Amino acid sequence: MTEPRVVIIGVGNPWRGDDGAGWVAADLAAARLSPGADIVHSDGEPARLIDAWEDADLAIVVDAVHSGAASGRIHRLDAAGVVARPASRPTGSHALGVVDAVRLGAAVGRLPRRLVVFGIEVADTGPGRGLTPDVARAAQTVAHSIEHEAGTSRPGRLGGFRDA
Amino acid sequence: MTDDENSARTLRVDSLARVEGEGGLRVEIVGDELRDVELRIYEPPRFFEAFLRGRKYTEPPDITARICGICPVAYQMSACNAIESLCGVTVDGPLADLRRLLYCGEWIESHTLHIYFLHAPDFLGYDGAIEMANNQREHIQRGLDLKRIGNQLVALIGGRPIHPVNVRLGGFYRVPIEEELRAFLPQLERARDLALSTVRWVASLPTPEFRHDGELVALRSPGEYPITGGRLVSTAGLDIGPSEFTGHVVEDHRAHSTARHARLRERGAYLVGPMARFALNFADLSPGARSAAAAVGLGPDERNPFRSIVIRAVEVLHACEEALAIIERYRQPEEPARPVEPRAGVGFGWTEAPRGVLWHRYALDHEGTILDVRIVPPTAQNQPSIEGDLFQFVAAHLDLADGELARHAEQIIRNYDPCISCATHFLDLTVHRT
Repeated sequence: MTEPRVVIIGVGNPWRGDDGAGWVAADLAAARLSPGADIVHSDGEPARLIDAWEDADLAIVVDAVHSGAASGRIHRLDAAGVVARPASRPTGSHALGVVDAVRLGAAVGRLPRRLVVFGIEVADTGPGRGLTPDVARAAQTVAHSIEHEAGTSRPGRLGGFRDA
Repeated sequence: MTDDENSARTLRVDSLARVEGEGGLRVEIVGDELRDVELRIYEPPRFFEAFLRGRKYTEPPDITARICGICPVAYQMSACNAIESLCGVTVDGPLADLRRLLYCGEWIESHTLHIYFLHAPDFLGYDGAIEMANNQREHIQRGLDLKRIGNQLVALIGGRPIHPVNVRLGGFYRVPIEEELRAFLPQLERARDLALSTVRWVASLPTPEFRHDGELVALRSPGEYPITGGRLVSTAGLDIGPSEFTGHVVEDHRAHSTARHARLRERGAYLVGPMARFALNFADLSPGARSAAAAVGLGPDERNPFRSIVIRAVEVLHACEEALAIIERYRQPEEPARPVEPRAGVGFGWTEAPRGVLWHRYALDHEGTILDVRIVPPTAQNQPSIEGDLFQFVAAHLDLADGELARHAEQIIRNYDPCISCATHFLDLTVHRT
């Protein structure tokens, strides 16, 4: 029997403050899961996200979100929850993002066997590295949650880092 | 939204989706007359030219790659060309081939993103790729597969699919062994088939009648389709080297935009990008790309910007065929890079980014410290021409409701795949009627 493939995908830009929360959470999770899952750093471009998760048994995506809720608040959605979200016109400079990637993946049958998306509410996405304290704590919490989620799929093989 | 029911009407569309970057478009109509069309760019300039000053001459390939997540290879290659030419280094043979191979990956990746996920939904009346995927699953899957192979090719040569880390002055940090590239041939053969299917599919899309009569400008390099260099030529007889660029092209600032607008000193607005490359270099396309174009009725006299989606597909096919040919003849070079020693002076370089010619100029001191930089990206060059197309279209369709007008205007802008990240950005559309 082959080991289940687990991939942890951090989405964001570490040079824009709290927007790096996804990468940080993924890296913290990597340390907890070692040896374990594949860790992917992503800028959120949908085709590459779909590539990263397509053959996975479990994919966990962590992205920064800005919905107006308190910074550091954590959202957790599965694929159905993401697809059910109301459509919004994209306004970011990448035009499409994680939500679009999930909807696109669902429409063409290219989702992992199980998908979990964590969103971390951000406070400051200005230029520069580093997370604000609430967001840094949230990244730790998400890393812990990832360990729990992945534990139920028990990754067995040696993972590695890659960029997507 | 109605400002005044009798005389003034302002329509706002809060975001112009499916264009890379952030910015806006403003259309002003007075009575029955179109007064003005402005591509309004409001993201602050990125100051790359300024913060390269004082850096080492070896750094621009890595720093300028960060200007754009879609065409980082173009920035790396134009920077290398400019600095190597100043330092008296010519990169040729397998190293030059590897550069073209990397660039082919970027063309495949960038064009495929635009064709399938940004542009095609316009022609079929979908709000975007996701809506299109529900009914056109087969096409979106083909787009994903083709783009993935482009990503993989960039990662194979560049070390990773975005902002490649393997490029340096004189060549690369590491060059692949022959077997690594040969192992990728089946993927590229599949990409070639997907690209051919893409040409046929996009050629079947319903296309509005439209004609762009402006001057077309592209690189030309004898015996090869222009990607990594050449002379700059045009449909009106321009024929210059990179050091002559600013003698012929002037840039100015506009109040409505933080990106500069480029014009030919003698003749004004001009167009760079796929339609210009294709018109000026049709004979140098790969045989398969040329025959695929001919089979769908596409020739070098094509001037309908709505058909640029077909030209991009033909260029993807060319990139696949050229990549195959490069891998077939590849022999691993003895050294991954030529040595490049600094020289005081000014160096100029350019390449064909997916969106058109990208010009770089670097002034160095004798230790290789950068004194001054200028970068002219393709979107800055195309902005006056895009405004011209918009003016022509809107003037002829003033009877359309604002929503329809806005929708068509967005499609016209997308014909040029403006990567506003390079030229600072847009996303916001306003039609003002009084």
